[in-house]
Amino acid sequence: MAHYLRIELLRMVRNKRYIIFVIAFPVIFYLLYSNLWGDQVDETTGVKGAVVLMVSMAAYGALAASIMSSAVPWAQERHSGWLRQLQITPLPGWAIICTKLIASMVLVLPSLLLVGLAAVLTQDVSLPAGEWAGLIGSLWVGTIPFIALGLTIGSLLPPDTAQPVAMIGMFGLALLGGLWFPVEVMPSAMKSIAQVLPSYDYASIGWKIVAGDTPEASAVFGIVGWAVVLGVLAVFAYRRATVRA
Amino acid sequence: MNAIAFNGVTKKYGEVVAVDGLTLDIPVGSTVALLGPNGAGKSTSINMLLGLLRPTSGDIKVFGNGPDEAVTRGDIGAMLQEGSLIPELTVRESVDFIRRLYPDPLPLDEVLRMAELTDLAGRRADKLSGGQTQRVRFALAIAGGPKLLLLDEPTAAMDVESRRSFWDNMRAYAAQGRTILFATHYLEEADQNSDRVVVVARGKVVADGTAAEIKAGVAGHTVSFRLGLQSAAGLDALPGVSAVEIQTDRVTVRTGDPDATVDALYRKTTLDVRDLQIHGADLEDAFLALTKES
Repeated sequence: MAHYLRIELLRMVRNKRYIIFVIAFPVIFYLLYSNLWGDQVDETTGVKGAVVLMVSMAAYGALAASIMSSAVPWAQERHSGWLRQLQITPLPGWAIICTKLIASMVLVLPSLLLVGLAAVLTQDVSLPAGEWAGLIGSLWVGTIPFIALGLTIGSLLPPDTAQPVAMIGMFGLALLGGLWFPVEVMPSAMKSIAQVLPSYDYASIGWKIVAGDTPEASAVFGIVGWAVVLGVLAVFAYRRATVRA
Repeated sequence: MNAIAFNGVTKKYGEVVAVDGLTLDIPVGSTVALLGPNGAGKSTSINMLLGLLRPTSGDIKVFGNGPDEAVTRGDIGAMLQEGSLIPELTVRESVDFIRRLYPDPLPLDEVLRMAELTDLAGRRADKLSGGQTQRVRFALAIAGGPKLLLLDEPTAAMDVESRRSFWDNMRAYAAQGRTILFATHYLEEADQNSDRVVVVARGKVVADGTAAEIKAGVAGHTVSFRLGLQSAAGLDALPGVSAVEIQTDRVTVRTGDPDATVDALYRKTTLDVRDLQIHGADLEDAFLALTKES
């Protein structure tokens, strides 16, 4: 299984789409946005824009990485017969989906870390060590529902549909969840949509942490709830995709 | 011991019967061709051996175990009809990955050599030609050193030259004492590369033997002569005869043993035999006769 994981990571690192959307985009947008609004200070929390944007872009990057590294490659593998190639080896079925999950979790780390690094280097962002650990840790573990969503998409849809659906899902979650524009500036209808999305819960945990607050219980429960629901869905979809008639 | 044992296996897709009561034993170490037209149930049978499909009824054993267990033990390798590779991985990476999943794999260099991939080992899968991709898929099938190798129309996408070298490579693998079952609808391939041919049509075995036996079998030869106004009664009782056809004044008998038939025709009948013709059938004729809609 370790070798399988290595293979999965290797192929994604060689994939241009992954590199562009997942690693380059968040860092570039962070640099752009933080130059524009980095010096603004949030009046209620007293947190600098550069820090809030760091959380938003890291969250976007991790969200993009989790969906992009799961949905499309998985749909392609099912479609191309690679999955069947694996199914006729001694590799057990559960190892395939577990490796996919672990690989995706490793693949979200570069965007999280690079956006953080860009923040430190270009905007002199500094946080207490505990906040760094809490932020990176929760943004990392919090990707589980998005990876589950990606695997569900990849299990249910053929590659040519999985691609646009994954893209729409990724940008939709990022946009409506307030990762690109603060939820506060949204019209009230969008605001109420945002608040039920896992991407909003996900990012808001990060925003609270950098403000020195404890994340809201509703956000934590929200993300855990989404993880359970989407996780069950992913397992169900995986079983359907690999069913032996 | 049997590498493969189908026992009364039937597979239905709704109302369509793909495999119809198949019973077939394949001993360890043999190379068997599963020959039949499209839709004969060849791929369905192979997918059932791999546990990718479940039989509707009947029982399948691979080295005495069920298909799932045989797959888990690494006893089976297969080259299925369709399948592409991970585009971002090199030939060496893909082959090495698959071989490490098996408990007792062949050495990497040996796999690459047997599939003629040594010079392409560092190339990425998305830079391979169609024929090269097929060679990689063959390499993936043998990488784990499986005791049973299943090949489902492996040469379908290959040109003549690649075909020839593919079968050479397959025979080299078979020579290590492995069991091989390959599906094909090319008669020549079955004839040249197997030591036993199982002809299937409409989900059933219609002939089973060496290529020579099948040629000589069911519809092997025809003996014909001018009958004139004489009666054809009794011709169907001659040794070897399986069918008698009369067209105008000429009679044609199908026989598995033309020597015995002709001998009896002269010695045991009082017929005035004129203009005698004997035709040997090739495998093509036998195949068409065996698989035609009845």
